[in-house]
Amino acid sequence: MAARRVSRLVAQAWIELKADDPEAVSALAVARANLPVGPSLRGLRRLRLVEIAGKLPARAKIEELLHQSTQFYNPHKERCAVRLAVDEPAPLRAGERAVLVVEREDARRSAAERWWRHETGEVVEVREGAAWAVTFDDGGADALMDLALVRGRRHGLLCNPHSQDCRVAGETVPLPWLGEAPPSVPRRRARPRATRSRE
Amino acid sequence: MTTARVAIVQFPGVNCEAESGRALRRAGLEAEVFRWTRPPGELRDYDAYLLPGGFSYQDRVRGGALAAKDPLVEVLAAEAERGKPVIGICNGAQVLVEAGLVPGSDAVELALAPNRMPDRSGYYARWVHVRIEPSPCVFTRHLEPGSVLPMPVAHGEGRFTSREPGRMAALGRAGQIPLRYAEPDGRVAEGFPSNPNGADEAAAAVCSPRGNVLALMPHPERAQDLGGLARAITGPWADRRDQALAAGEAGAEGPGMLLFRGLARHLED
Repeated sequence: MAARRVSRLVAQAWIELKADDPEAVSALAVARANLPVGPSLRGLRRLRLVEIAGKLPARAKIEELLHQSTQFYNPHKERCAVRLAVDEPAPLRAGERAVLVVEREDARRSAAERWWRHETGEVVEVREGAAWAVTFDDGGADALMDLALVRGRRHGLLCNPHSQDCRVAGETVPLPWLGEAPPSVPRRRARPRATRSRE
Repeated sequence: MTTARVAIVQFPGVNCEAESGRALRRAGLEAEVFRWTRPPGELRDYDAYLLPGGFSYQDRVRGGALAAKDPLVEVLAAEAERGKPVIGICNGAQVLVEAGLVPGSDAVELALAPNRMPDRSGYYARWVHVRIEPSPCVFTRHLEPGSVLPMPVAHGEGRFTSREPGRMAALGRAGQIPLRYAEPDGRVAEGFPSNPNGADEAAAAVCSPRGNVLALMPHPERAQDLGGLARAITGPWADRRDQALAAGEAGAEGPGMLLFRGLARHLED
């Protein structure tokens, strides 16, 4: 029997402060000053990534709904870019890699779901995480994970794996990204010998 | 005999340094606020350390995450390794957990995750009861296991947890959970609101294997005056509070002072 087609979509809302984000400014300063990976870290931005999954209207209506409620963002202080297809680019700058950090079992935004249902009559799932856009002068995936995943005082900052999940995007940012399963947190790696005494 | 000196380590955004200092001084200790702007090496001049509550670095990234990377914490870790006592209260506990000083292997083994509460989320403040457990913890080992102390909690991220299955239970078996959330009659709290954040093993605190480093979510410094105990508190401490208030002695020592007295006793020894 052919599977019944379900008109279910996922929209990503990438939300960023128009002003400099204090959280990203502090994280960048602390990483540069105190982490081994810091000297090669060129830039760090933080965006809130909100995913809405369910029966969704067209893009213009989605944008209007998001703009309408501070359940999603404050248009006076934040900008929002909507992404509906995996081949649409995420709002990343040249050279930036995206790392998603999400609270384990705590990504759902029930108040936003209730608001959406009240406004549209549709039941949707809303999830939220933090998308960090990271630029290194050099260094690949290892440097990125050394910045992201907390292992000790000298290693990792953005994600404490004991309560959060961390996902690194490749060339293309997944859609959905928050809703995907299973989480791709790497197992704890052995610490490099050279830095062990400093932890 | 010289008085033991305790450094109250203040990062920007910390806001409980004054009442913490008052509690330390009431216990007979010398207390001095040590701000993040001072050279880290000067921390070595102290006999013990207190990381007070508040919102270090405005809780940016996660509670305690940025302060945990500060060079001051490297010195704290070295002094803790030498056996000096360190207590982190609320945000101070978050710093110790994010820095791996608790439970103590230097690797980060735990998180203080967002509160898990039915039908609500975010910051939560309430008086709770904690039960003393058998433990080498220098702040509580002079107290009778099973005794119950009322203390306030006030936090958004206070849920002790680990992604390693069984890790929290193992800490409990090793005596590294010196305080558990409890009912007023001493039974371990089974759920909200007695366990106000959903902490694994009802852990209100976790200490290092030697017991000299303690990460504690409730605020003992806010329970230092008997007269300050909430009216909702019942049991023996409520009786003592009522007697103190009737005698016009609202400032008599409350249950929170027992931990500071424990520190003073340890430093005397």
